Amino acid sequence: MIKLLGLEYYKIRRKKIGIMMILFLVVEMLWAFMSISRSIASNPDHAVWESVFFSISSMNGLFMPIMSAVVVSRICDMEHKGSTWKMLAATNVGRGRLYAAKYICTNSLILYGIGVQALFIMVIGLTKDFPGTLPSDLLFRFIGGTLLTTLAVAALQQWISFAIKNQAFALGLGMLGGFIGMTAGLFPAAIRHLFIWSYYLDLSPVTYRYAESASVYIVQPESVGIVLGSLIMTLLFYFVGNFHVSRQEI
Amino acid sequence: MKRSISAEWLKLRHSRIGLIIAVLPILSLLIGCANYYFNQDALQNGWYSLWTQVALFYGVFFLPILISICCSYIGRLEHLNRNWNIVMTSPVSIASVFLAKWIVVGVLILFAQVLFIGLYWVAGTLFSLPGPFPIETIGWMIRGWYACMSITALQLGLSLRIRSFATPIGISLCAVFIGLGMYIAKLGLFFPFSLLNIGMSVMSQDPLTDMQNILFWIINLAFIIIFASMTIRRLKNKDIVSS
Repeated sequence: MIKLLGLEYYKIRRKKIGIMMILFLVVEMLWAFMSISRSIASNPDHAVWESVFFSISSMNGLFMPIMSAVVVSRICDMEHKGSTWKMLAATNVGRGRLYAAKYICTNSLILYGIGVQALFIMVIGLTKDFPGTLPSDLLFRFIGGTLLTTLAVAALQQWISFAIKNQAFALGLGMLGGFIGMTAGLFPAAIRHLFIWSYYLDLSPVTYRYAESASVYIVQPESVGIVLGSLIMTLLFYFVGNFHVSRQEI
Repeated sequence: MKRSISAEWLKLRHSRIGLIIAVLPILSLLIGCANYYFNQDALQNGWYSLWTQVALFYGVFFLPILISICCSYIGRLEHLNRNWNIVMTSPVSIASVFLAKWIVVGVLILFAQVLFIGLYWVAGTLFSLPGPFPIETIGWMIRGWYACMSITALQLGLSLRIRSFATPIGISLCAVFIGLGMYIAKLGLFFPFSLLNIGMSVMSQDPLTDMQNILFWIINLAFIIIFASMTIRRLKNKDIVSS
């Protein structure tokens, strides 16, 4: 397995996926920085660590589905383009293991992206001089929640990217996911929980309560149901995708 | 030229790209309508309030990404199976290859825009909104489509140059945010992605002044000419990479 994983990294060594992700994240963070600055300028009470966690979690609803779609598509599409999936399937390695290696490779890249986001959160907080020390519990919950949601999103994207050669469908799905993730806050909870892309906001450590007098950021209690829902969707998308792709005629 | 365009249409046969193009306006409209329905007390401006809800996410974020997906798809066909070699050795000028692709993407986006405005009319009628259908929204749709043409010229250039399907789409996502920033900074006329925002009157329904209107049409045309000529020039002078 380690060998297969090593080969996946070897194949993408010149694809500059890491740099591309940094570019995305820089744009996202600049936007978050601007939005937080405007929010603090209009209400100085918003100069708290919670604001940056909420702001980035809500933006992740748009960015992460599209970024995951782009990363997964690049890793899967190289096999379609070079017709190398057929070659790989002809080796004495099971397709399931190849599928797993790609999934691990993709998610390790995304974990790196989430790590960069965590670093940006610290930088924004320190730059804005928020009161108190960095709330590490919120940071770990942010990393965990974002990763958990992305695991399911990446499993779904990998299935589509492998099963349908035309990557317009995979990217179209990423775009729809971004759309749903971005507008998730508008849906009632019962409908929202059906869509994995809305979990970026549901698994965020902080939420924003709108009130007529003063809107506030509040720490959201952990929901075991949402975590379980996310894990079930991850397993479902991964195993159904693996089953379908492993048995599909090339 | 006509034959180049029909060749591009032929390549899109069985691609089901129409499905992707149709889904986005439908979903944008459904979510916008749901939001309008639940907030009718605050949204009192009839047809215009409905427009703000349905066009916001569509015009600002997702239409540019849809354009980039179409451009990547139309470019991907050449990157596959050494098709560039065939295209470059065919008795057709580079300019007509590029322009045919640009026109075809333009028609696809026009279809999305017409579908969107049609659905907007249906939604407004079903909500029994007071007053007649605002004719200016058709003008906003056409202006939006015109702004899309400059984004198409840019994205097509990227997609013909970059072999990866997904990278130009990622670039488009970043450009969307830069465009939004430039629009807020009142520099929207100088960036194609902000011009779409202005053209579709997504954030402000105030009519453009005569000067702004003239600038809008001229700057868009300038962007189209610049991006198209840069891509054609590059295709003429640089070796293509085909595998």
